[in-house]
Amino acid sequence: MLLETRHLHIGYGDAPAVWDATLDVDAGEIVSVIGPNGAGKTTLINAIAGLLRCRQGDLRFDGVDMTNLKAHEFCGHGIALVPEGRRLFAKMSVEENLELGCYLQAARAARSDSLERVYALFPVLRQKRLQPAGELSGGQQQMVAIGRALMARPRIVLFDEPSLGLAPAIVDDMFDIIVRVRDDGAAVLLVEQNVLKALGIADRAYVLEQGRIVAQGVPNELLDQPHIREAYLGV
Amino acid sequence: MPSATLLGQALISGVLAGGMYGLLAMGLSLSWGLLRLVNLSHFALAFLSAYIVYELGTKYGVAPWWSAAMVVPVMFGVGAAQYWLFDRFHVNELASLLITFSFAVIVEAGIQIYWTADYRRFETHYSTLSFKVGPFFVPVLELVLCVVASVLAWGTWMWLRKTYVGKGLRAAAEDADIAAAYGVDHRKLAYLLSGIGAAYAGIAGTFIALIATLAPAQIWAWLGVVFAVVIIGRLGNPLGALLAGMLIGASESLAMAVLSPAWAPVVSFSVLIVILLWDPEWL
Repeated sequence: MLLETRHLHIGYGDAPAVWDATLDVDAGEIVSVIGPNGAGKTTLINAIAGLLRCRQGDLRFDGVDMTNLKAHEFCGHGIALVPEGRRLFAKMSVEENLELGCYLQAARAARSDSLERVYALFPVLRQKRLQPAGELSGGQQQMVAIGRALMARPRIVLFDEPSLGLAPAIVDDMFDIIVRVRDDGAAVLLVEQNVLKALGIADRAYVLEQGRIVAQGVPNELLDQPHIREAYLGV
Repeated sequence: MPSATLLGQALISGVLAGGMYGLLAMGLSLSWGLLRLVNLSHFALAFLSAYIVYELGTKYGVAPWWSAAMVVPVMFGVGAAQYWLFDRFHVNELASLLITFSFAVIVEAGIQIYWTADYRRFETHYSTLSFKVGPFFVPVLELVLCVVASVLAWGTWMWLRKTYVGKGLRAAAEDADIAAAYGVDHRKLAYLLSGIGAAYAGIAGTFIALIATLAPAQIWAWLGVVFAVVIIGRLGNPLGALLAGMLIGASESLAMAVLSPAWAPVVSFSVLIVILLWDPEWL
């Protein structure tokens, strides 16, 4: 198993926001975590990216215990985050944002090759490479955020609400890109409010409600559960 | 209206004097812009360095460049140690202002105890050297200062723009968490940058020892002007700091020549206000 979390408790301040989260992602898989706003999806993904310390439980990546590592040590193991709201370095150029993705030595060695791949995937970014990232449209900024993650040569990419705030026409493209990232060899953990889309591309999925994982399984089974149909599809 | 020669001379002297503003502003701008720490003790470190260069020069006959070779690395260490304190006590932008102000007051007191409040002057045979270009006098020491400041400003600017360490620092200044998620160890880089800022204070101090008359209270003399320079030059931009320093130096000097010396202090903040209101595209 590539990513394993066991009974993770994660929280800000005194109040835990996620309880007892146990989930797995295997190499080559797309795993979606769905759930309503405020369920703790971003908290969970930030903890897996190393930005939040887990209060309890185990976080293992490729057999390595990550629980006590510092935030800047996660990327080197092959974990890359596409954060909610993109969070680009707005004053820096598009290319500098991408280069930040290959900040670490191992990824830096493959810089030109990775850059070519990202520009092949998103040709528009090549034209805009010298522009400040903050001046791009929402869809283009999302491309930079994904490109930045790919520059790190990750073994898993964590997507946090990649469709949020994008024009409907681009949302489908975004999910195609996620499938492509997986086909190119990285596992994907996807956190999404767009339940149908997220389940549509997933191999397996977890349902997170009020900080707890309440259901898991392959997408078709989940869609058959009355509770899921009612809560997320309104039927 | 003063003659063209006088104005030209005022412009040259002003730009060269502005090199000192720029040099002092650089370290302040780096720490403020990239670490979100406003280091008021920067001026105190510069004067402490100046006094040490003065002491080594007058008591032991050490040449200022050898003194600088000793003082600058020590200041780097002081800067790194300061960052350790900031980090240890989770100092934010506002608190840093208060803490470094206290630190500056302590250094000022220390200088006053050891060197007394008397004016001190490090006399060297080259401190008043100048050469003539047409009708204008160019002071050699100020020119050297400007060359050193320009090399440092350009080098630091390139370092921030072209190296991964520089890009990591700029990225962390915008979003420290996300930079960390891509492997940027912000604390490690912050120690380095804090040390570099203080080392620049050491370099500025060496020139202060040679050019200025030293007194403990002089620590505060350049505070206002240099703050204006830091802001006009844009936080975290060493090249901007140098150019803004020269702009303010030239404006002050011209104001003194055309109006009267009393106008000089008004100029820096007037230029600051005008530029903030105007907000030109090229800044």
